[in-house]
Amino acid sequence: MSSSDFVSQVAPIKAADPCGALLQRCRTLVEDHELNHVKQWKAANPGAFVMGHMPIYAPRALVEAQGGLAVAVFGGGEEVDIIRGDSYFQSYICHIPRSTIELGLGGQLDVLDGMMFPSICDVIRNLGGMWKILFPNKYSAYVDLPQNFAQGIGGKFYAHELGRIAEEMHKFGAQKLEPEKLRQAMRDENLRRAAIGKLDELRRTEPHRCLASEAYLLVRAGGGLLAKEHAAMIEEFVLAAKKRDTRPRDNVRVVLVGAFCEQAPVDLIRALEKAGCDIVDDDFQLGMRMIEGDLDAEAEDPLLALAMGFIKKGAAVASRYIADEVKGKSLIDKVKASKADGVIFAAASFCDPALLDQPMLEVAMDEAKIPHTSFKYAENTGQFQVIREQAGAFSDAVKLWGQVE
Amino acid sequence: MQTQMATAQTAYVNKEVQLTCGIDAGSSSVKVAIMRSRAGQGGELLALASQRIRRRVVDEVVTASFEEACQTAGVAPGDFDYIASTGDGDAVHMRTGHFYGMTTHARGALWLEPNARGVLDVGALHARALKIDDRGKVLGHRMTSQCASGSGQFLENIARYLGVPLEDVGAISCQSTNAEPVSSICAVLAETDVINMVSRGLATADILRGIHLSIAGRLVKLIKSAGADGTILVTGGLAADEGLYASIVQCMSEGVQKKTLVRNLGMEVKRHENAMYAGAIGAALLAAYRWEQLAKSGRLEMLLATA
Repeated sequence: MSSSDFVSQVAPIKAADPCGALLQRCRTLVEDHELNHVKQWKAANPGAFVMGHMPIYAPRALVEAQGGLAVAVFGGGEEVDIIRGDSYFQSYICHIPRSTIELGLGGQLDVLDGMMFPSICDVIRNLGGMWKILFPNKYSAYVDLPQNFAQGIGGKFYAHELGRIAEEMHKFGAQKLEPEKLRQAMRDENLRRAAIGKLDELRRTEPHRCLASEAYLLVRAGGGLLAKEHAAMIEEFVLAAKKRDTRPRDNVRVVLVGAFCEQAPVDLIRALEKAGCDIVDDDFQLGMRMIEGDLDAEAEDPLLALAMGFIKKGAAVASRYIADEVKGKSLIDKVKASKADGVIFAAASFCDPALLDQPMLEVAMDEAKIPHTSFKYAENTGQFQVIREQAGAFSDAVKLWGQVE
Repeated sequence: MQTQMATAQTAYVNKEVQLTCGIDAGSSSVKVAIMRSRAGQGGELLALASQRIRRRVVDEVVTASFEEACQTAGVAPGDFDYIASTGDGDAVHMRTGHFYGMTTHARGALWLEPNARGVLDVGALHARALKIDDRGKVLGHRMTSQCASGSGQFLENIARYLGVPLEDVGAISCQSTNAEPVSSICAVLAETDVINMVSRGLATADILRGIHLSIAGRLVKLIKSAGADGTILVTGGLAADEGLYASIVQCMSEGVQKKTLVRNLGMEVKRHENAMYAGAIGAALLAAYRWEQLAKSGRLEMLLATA
């Protein structure tokens, strides 16, 4: 199946669909594996710095404040055949670092002037190290995210870390960081977050108007757009989706957890939807919605405010140390807030953070009597029969019997 | 406002029977069942309809089959309390909800054969064996994977090679006096076998019976691995194939004799004239059950209010 065939199945566009044109634009952006839209942006903004980053969280506002464009790199999905990438990682390592290396060596990421590797896990740390060796003329930043969440310790540390990255980006050609520009970038980032919040709210309250697979496309399409532009695109979709001629379905409402780094194939999301599940919350593409609240864009020290955004408002994910909270509490809160019927744990194969967290989260779900099921995937998984069976059985069990045995 | 809501909800719960429709959008045909029941218990079958897809757009076949069934039942599309899809739910635009094929075939089989504790669902693309309880709840299942050798599509290909209309395959197979064994491992090899058999001038009936026995052998293993016992109902599109049914019975009997099927001395394979509609019937019954659940929990109002 070609890439176009694959993505065209995500959300069949109907002629009368008021969201059709926008979804088509999103598809074009998502299918742009050569990053042509980023090349166009760069051509229109000569000398501007383009910074790639791995999934989960990255300080995108910092890049925009320095006149640059942050570009989310989600690996190669099922589109990239891994040939060279396999020689850099052992067989028991997840898929995304291999495909990222493959993309890098294949020249698809040449448009990027630098890459940020947030501290997701050891594998991404190793990938960052390899990147430095493989591409010595490009900027490679390992973003050491704090695991102490006190302002005086973690906040101070992370603000310093952000300052270091800003300085280094400047050395590689980005504009010098100025407080007012950072404040403006944070305001723009707040706009994006608010727009994504509206999108999430729409699929929570009226999932028939916005499928999870569509929301996924919309958020992912903005991986290489400026925050303001992305926010406008999402706002436009939300308005159009409210005019859609659709009817509610009697589906099971689920929260999907574990897909925060290596992304699930879009067909997998569709398989879950086809099995009768409304995914009303998930941790896909956390990079653009990791901060659960506004950044303090009017702060006197915007760098510290950017750091404190992560410290105080960062979502609870497996790669973030949870000290004072019961493991699983945030997931239970999420299930309640989204009025979900159950949880699907969907983690990438060999994803240590997700898979080590999962047993503890499952215990928490059992104690809270929340039905759950789990499976693993890889970004290039092409067969979903087993997952469809499992999701279908789960959905029916919750719907008809109220429990999963 | 609250009083109005409560009254409406009570009215729903007190409704004696629900009119529901089950639409099974399979890979080669669409089956529709219209039923009237009280929360899926008992149940009166008002209409059945089925249409083969044959290169048509599935959505259009669904609409045509639905309209045909509505006409037979003498009901209007807007009369239904709940329309449930199974199979390819996306093709059923009028659906209220969706149930998975395994669940609907289990429920439909139980309605068709109340003693059934196992289901053998043989469709165009795959086959699956289910172990069920007396409520139709699936207790265990096994399914053929990517392999085509246990599927209706394979049989359709063979019929085409032999120049036999698909609907005649079963009857011709039953005329066999000397079944010719074929590869039971791989559909590709089996198809090559068939071409060789035709070249050797073997009787069509013997070739078809060999194919049926090959498929049946795989299905019996599937039943065994699913742990199903007692009465097994064959459902799905191939349930109507009398040659396949006879072959399953034969394989099972031989399995018991050879003691490869030690657990199923009490196993009895049955079929039913409406077995190919089991998915649609099950969906219609579960729809009524679900309708009452929603009505009791107050969620039905929400579903209908925004419809």
